[in-house]
Amino acid sequence: MSSETEGVATGEVFADATQLGQGAEAMIKLEGVVKRFGSFTALNNINVQVARQEVVVVIGPSGSGKSTLIRCINRLEEHDEGQIWVDGVELSDDLRNIQAIRRETGMVFQQFNLYPHLSVLDNITLSPRLVRGQSRSEAEAKAMELLERVQIPEQAHKRPGQLSGGQQQRVAIARSLAMEPKVILFDEPTSALDPEMINEVLEVMTDLAREGMTMIVVTHEMGFARQVADRVVFMASGEIVEVGTPEHFFTNPTEPRTQAFLSQIL
Amino acid sequence: MIVQWLRKNLFRSALDSIVTVVVGALSIFALYRLLRFVFVTGRWDVVRTNLGLYMTGSWPAEQLTRLSTVVVALAFLGGLAGGFAARQGDDSDDSEVEPDERSLLARAGSLLLRLWPAVLTVGLLLSLTSTIGPWILVAGVIAAVIIGRFLGARIPARTSPPVVVGILMLALASIWYLNAGVSWNNWGGLVLNLFLAAFSIALCFPIGVLLALGRRSEFPIIRGVSTVYIELFRGVPLIALLLMASVALGFFVPQSLAPGNVVRAIVIFVLFTSAYVAEIVRGGLQSIPKGQIEAGKANGLSPIPITTRIVLPQAIRNVIPALVGQFISLFKDTTLAGAAFSFTDLLSSAEASTAQDAFRGQGLIAETLMFVLLLFWAGSYVMSQESQRLETRLGVGQR
Repeated sequence: MSSETEGVATGEVFADATQLGQGAEAMIKLEGVVKRFGSFTALNNINVQVARQEVVVVIGPSGSGKSTLIRCINRLEEHDEGQIWVDGVELSDDLRNIQAIRRETGMVFQQFNLYPHLSVLDNITLSPRLVRGQSRSEAEAKAMELLERVQIPEQAHKRPGQLSGGQQQRVAIARSLAMEPKVILFDEPTSALDPEMINEVLEVMTDLAREGMTMIVVTHEMGFARQVADRVVFMASGEIVEVGTPEHFFTNPTEPRTQAFLSQIL
Repeated sequence: MIVQWLRKNLFRSALDSIVTVVVGALSIFALYRLLRFVFVTGRWDVVRTNLGLYMTGSWPAEQLTRLSTVVVALAFLGGLAGGFAARQGDDSDDSEVEPDERSLLARAGSLLLRLWPAVLTVGLLLSLTSTIGPWILVAGVIAAVIIGRFLGARIPARTSPPVVVGILMLALASIWYLNAGVSWNNWGGLVLNLFLAAFSIALCFPIGVLLALGRRSEFPIIRGVSTVYIELFRGVPLIALLLMASVALGFFVPQSLAPGNVVRAIVIFVLFTSAYVAEIVRGGLQSIPKGQIEAGKANGLSPIPITTRIVLPQAIRNVIPALVGQFISLFKDTTLAGAAFSFTDLLSSAEASTAQDAFRGQGLIAETLMFVLLLFWAGSYVMSQESQRLETRLGVGQR
């Protein structure tokens, strides 16, 4: 852990990513997580905790391991070393354990990954029906509520291919919400969108954050990070370089690598 | 208008004009020869006389009622399944598929347009018959399909599994009833070709899908067995396998345990075609982006629903053209079983009929073969048309 505390007002910044605020309870905890792809080390000794109802935004240059980090949390990638806990359950090799963690963890992908052969409604209700054992009518009533929430109830019976990118991503958010997850992982949710559609997705995410959803968001949207994040994590070369409140992060970053990155994009 | 169209499409340049004239002349000549053969020089008495033989082979005459009953029953079940499936389709995306509100006449018209080769062929067959039986049969089949569709569309959608199982069981029961009256050895004619094809297709499709999944399995043993199976059966000629089952099976299996010829033929067709189906489906599986599986996992689904609900439906609809091609090929290859097992299937009956006392030595093989070709072509063309319709309905190509 290379981050430092000097020059930062206490209580405003949790300079070490493993530290949470007073009385906060860890929803997600990573300890010494290492992930290698062949000889390439994608994640190198990652330690981070995310509190209940906290919004953590992960930023950093491409190839820095941001996506790999969140993909390890729901076992889309298997970590090689270290430990990961989600809501107190440790992620192990046991398939039932993995399933249990995935049920509590929603994920929104850069490419939406909606099921193209199913209607919007079926996309949302498939898992609640098969995994949670909900009846079709129960699941569909819930799905319609969620579609109201992401403001596209009129698209319920269309196929994903008939929707705009922004609408598809909102359906994807509704789909992960339908499982009533305790945390949602966002993997660059706006990177594949046309500029005019980015805001409609960010608005939905902002609402979610306000309602108290625990979120880890990998994104390049600095405006969103500044306004919505409780903490910002900056990663480079598979390591967490710096962690802080948005205010600290965007006005007074300590690490040279953070400063260099921010000067390039801001 | 027409002149412009001709100029643009057929006579744009000197070379175009030459090609048009040459191809046009050849086509007209070929068409002329064909029509002359069909209407002037062809001697169709051999077909007219042997129509029963071509259709049912050496099927005992007193058992024809049984056959007709089963054909009508199967038509009813087919209609039932069709009506039920159409309704299921409407349920899943009701805003897209408009309920069919066209007039009865318009629907009959579009049906005729789709099935015209079959309609034409059935019409030809009826015109060649001298008895009333076939007319009653055709009327019965049409009525059964319509009633079946009507009833099928009224079965509640949520009863899907028992309905599907029920329809399959009834279909099997009707085949059993048929076989109880006429042993396999007496099956023949077009009925035998259709039966071999339908039964083999129904069996080789699920086996092929399982093999495709097996070849991509994480378990080395399953993967190994599937791969060896596929490579083995794709690597040998079908006719050799059929001859082996026909002649050489006795070397491996005691005579008392060896199944009848029709069963042997079906087993070979299923073994052979399922290997091809497996490779076609595997191609489809590979066309599904990894993100689909990841989305299913992240959404809490376990491996089996990810395969059955997300991957397979997309994979199979991507390979419908290749699959139907394989099935058409199987349908036509049933004539090889006729040769290998000495069945009196359509092709063998047609050949045999030219050796009858009344027709021997008259060189009638062209007439009989032409008739065989027409029947197979009509069947294959309808399969191909229906598969294209299925693709459109499933929205292939518009993800």
